[in-house]
Amino acid sequence: MIAVNPIGAVIALALVLAVVATLWWMLHPPISKVQEIARDAETELERMVGSIIVVFSENIASQHMMALAAKLAKGERSELLAIYVVSVPYSLPPDAEMTDEERRALDALGAAQAIAAKADINLRTETVKARSTKQAVLDIAKRERANLIVLGSFREGKYTGAPLSRTIEEIAAEAKCDVIIGVEGKHGNLLVDQLGFEQVEQGEKAP
Amino acid sequence: MPEKHQPELKRSVTPWGSFSWGYSDVGADIFVGLGLVLGAAAGASNVAFLFAGIVYVCIGLAYTELAATYPVAGGGQYFVMRGLGDFLGFIAGWAVLLDFTIDVTLFAWSCVDYLSEVVPVLLNPIHPWIHFIAVFGLIAGLCLLNVLGVRESTTFNGVVSALDVISETSILFFGFLFAFRPELLVHTMTTQWPSTFNLMLGASYAIISFVGLESISQAAQETQRPASVIPRTSIALILTILIYALAYSNLALGMVPWHQVPPDAMGHAQTLWQWLGNNDNNGKAVALLAKEVPYFGALAALYVPILGAILLLISSNSGVFGSSRIAYAMANAKLLPSIFQRVNRRFRTPAISIISFCAIAVVELVFAAWPSLDPGAAAFYAKFFHGEGGIGFLGDLYAFGAATSYSFVFLALIALRMNDPLSPRKFRIPFNIPMTYKGERVLFPVIGVLGFMGILSILVFTILTHDLGRIAGPAWLILGFIIFVIYRRNKGLPVFGSAPHDWRHEQIGILRDAGELELMDEYLASLKAREPARATEAR
Repeated sequence: MIAVNPIGAVIALALVLAVVATLWWMLHPPISKVQEIARDAETELERMVGSIIVVFSENIASQHMMALAAKLAKGERSELLAIYVVSVPYSLPPDAEMTDEERRALDALGAAQAIAAKADINLRTETVKARSTKQAVLDIAKRERANLIVLGSFREGKYTGAPLSRTIEEIAAEAKCDVIIGVEGKHGNLLVDQLGFEQVEQGEKAP
Repeated sequence: MPEKHQPELKRSVTPWGSFSWGYSDVGADIFVGLGLVLGAAAGASNVAFLFAGIVYVCIGLAYTELAATYPVAGGGQYFVMRGLGDFLGFIAGWAVLLDFTIDVTLFAWSCVDYLSEVVPVLLNPIHPWIHFIAVFGLIAGLCLLNVLGVRESTTFNGVVSALDVISETSILFFGFLFAFRPELLVHTMTTQWPSTFNLMLGASYAIISFVGLESISQAAQETQRPASVIPRTSIALILTILIYALAYSNLALGMVPWHQVPPDAMGHAQTLWQWLGNNDNNGKAVALLAKEVPYFGALAALYVPILGAILLLISSNSGVFGSSRIAYAMANAKLLPSIFQRVNRRFRTPAISIISFCAIAVVELVFAAWPSLDPGAAAFYAKFFHGEGGIGFLGDLYAFGAATSYSFVFLALIALRMNDPLSPRKFRIPFNIPMTYKGERVLFPVIGVLGFMGILSILVFTILTHDLGRIAGPAWLILGFIIFVIYRRNKGLPVFGSAPHDWRHEQIGILRDAGELELMDEYLASLKAREPARATEAR
C-alpha cells in the first residue's frame, strides 16, 4: 500500500506550480511599441468590420469594392450585407415598378453573391426602393448596426473627373459608422481582376 | 555578424520556439547527467547538483544579458571575441566546438542506452560491438541527414519539448507524491556522504546537466524581438532545468522504489540511487527512475525510454548543426579557415564542416568505447586512466569544454560592461557596483565574478578528477591553437591581437535588424550625447 507523505505532496504541488508559472511567464513577454500599435490597429479593425454593408445604386458603382469587402469579411469573420438602392423619383408612386433598374440590381447583387461564394463567405442581399439613396443607406446602416459602409465611386465619375457624387459625400458625412469609399484611379481596377469579378459579372449577364 | 548586402535570416522563432530550441539541448542533459552524478557523488548528489546549479544560474544570467544585448549568431564565441579580442574569442569558440562534437557522441550514446530499455540487445555486455555500431550508425545517419539538408522542424522540436516538459513534471510530481520519504533522503545523505574527491567529481559531472544554453544564443539572430524574448526564454529554461535537476537528485536519494531493486553484479543488495548510478545503468537513469514511480511507472515504462531517446537524438543532432554553425561564424570572423564557410553546391549545406566535426565525434566515440571493445585497451585505460572510459570519458570532455568556454564568457561579460557601457541592456544581471572606468559610468557585475570563480572551480575539479579528460581537453585546445596560428599567419592577421572592428556601427545594425528600434534609438542617443558627430556618421 502506497502512503502519501505530506512533505512529498507539498513538494510535488510546488514543483508543478513552479514549472507552470515559469512557462506562463515566459510565454507572455512585454510587447514593444510597434506591436502595441499593431495590436490597437487590429482591435480597431475588428471593431470596424464587425458588420459591413456594401452599397450599390444607379449612381454608385461598388463592384470593385465588393471584392475588397469580401476579403475583409473573410479575414475578420464579419457579417456582410450587399444592398442595391433603387431610387424612385417623386414623379412616381413609391412602389412603382422600375424594371430596368431592378434588373440591374439583380445583376449587381448576383455578382456580389458570386464573389462571396468564391471567397467562401455568407452574404445577405437586399434590394431597397427609396426616394433618397442617402437616407435608405443610413436607415439600413442604423437597422443593421453596421460598423462599416463600403461604397464605390460615382458611375459617371470616370467621365466627369469627379469620382464622388453628392450622395456619396452625404453618406460619408452623415453616417454614424466608418465609411470606406473606393475610388478607382484613372487606369485602376482595385481588386476586380484579381477575383475575376468582371468575368463573373459577364457570366451572370451572358444568358 | 550582419552584412548589409547579404540576405538576413528570417526572424521566425517564437518564444516557445526559442525555449524549445534550448530545451531540446539542455533538457536532454539530465537524462545523461543524473546517473553519472549519482555514481560519483552518492549521498551528496543533490549537493553536487545544487553547486553546479548555482554556477549554472550565473552562467544563464550572463548568457541572457549578452544574448539580449548582442542578438547575433555565434553565441559565446562572439561575446568573447567582442569583449576580449580575437584570440580568446577563438579559444572560447574552439572549446564550444569540442562540446558540440562531444554532444553528438554523448547523446547518441545515451540515446542507444535509452532505446535498449525497449530493445535490450543494444546494451548487451557480451556483445559490446552492437552498442558501438548502433552509436556509430546514429552519428553517421545524422551526418548524412545534415549534409543532405534534412532537419527536424521547429514544430517537431516544440512538440517533443512540450511532451518532455509534461512527462518530466509528471514523473517528479507522482514520484514526490507517492514515493518520497524525507527521512530516507536525510538517512542517505548522512550515511552515504562521498569523499571530497568524489564530491568534486560529482560537481564536475553535474555541470553537464546544464550545458546547452548556448543554443538560445545561437538562435538569437532568428528569434523575433530577441532583446525582449531571449531574457524570458533563457530564464525560464534556467529555472525549469534547475527545478528538474534538483528534484530528480533529491527524489533519487529519497525515493522508495515501486519494485525490488535488483542486486549488483556481485550479488549484493543495492539501493535505488546505487542502481541508477552504476556503469550499466547510468546512461538511462531517468527511464529507470520513472519506472520505479508507483502507479505512474507502469505508464512511464512504456514511453519514457522512447521520449528520452527522441530528445537525446535531437540533442545529438543539435551538436551536428551547432558545430557547423559555429565553425561558419568563426570562419566569418576570420578565426577559422574559410573552408568551414564553404557551402556544397548541390545540397546547399556546409558539408565539409559537417563531415569534419562528425569525424571528430567518431574519434571521440572510439576513445570512449575502446576499453569495452578491446580487453587490452581496458587494461591500458585501467593502468593510466583509472579505468575511465565510456560515457564517463565523454562526460569529462563535455564538462571541460563547457567550463572553459563559460569561464571566458564571464570574463567577456565583465569586459563588455566596462568597455561597452553604452549598448542598451534590456536585461541586466542584478547586484552591480557602480563605478567610473575610462571616464564612463559603468556597473561592475558582482555575479560575473562569482560565476567566474564557480565555473573556474568546476574546471579545476574536472582537471583534478578526470584522468583522461585532463589530457584530452587541453590537447584539443593545443590542436586548435596550432590551427589558429597557422591560419592567422597565412592571412597576415595578428595571432594574439584583433583584426579591426567597428563595433558601434555593427551594434546599430544588429539592433536595427533585430527590430529593436527603441533600443537602437537609445543607443544612438547615448552615442550622440557622447560623440555627436560619430553617431550621425554611424547612422
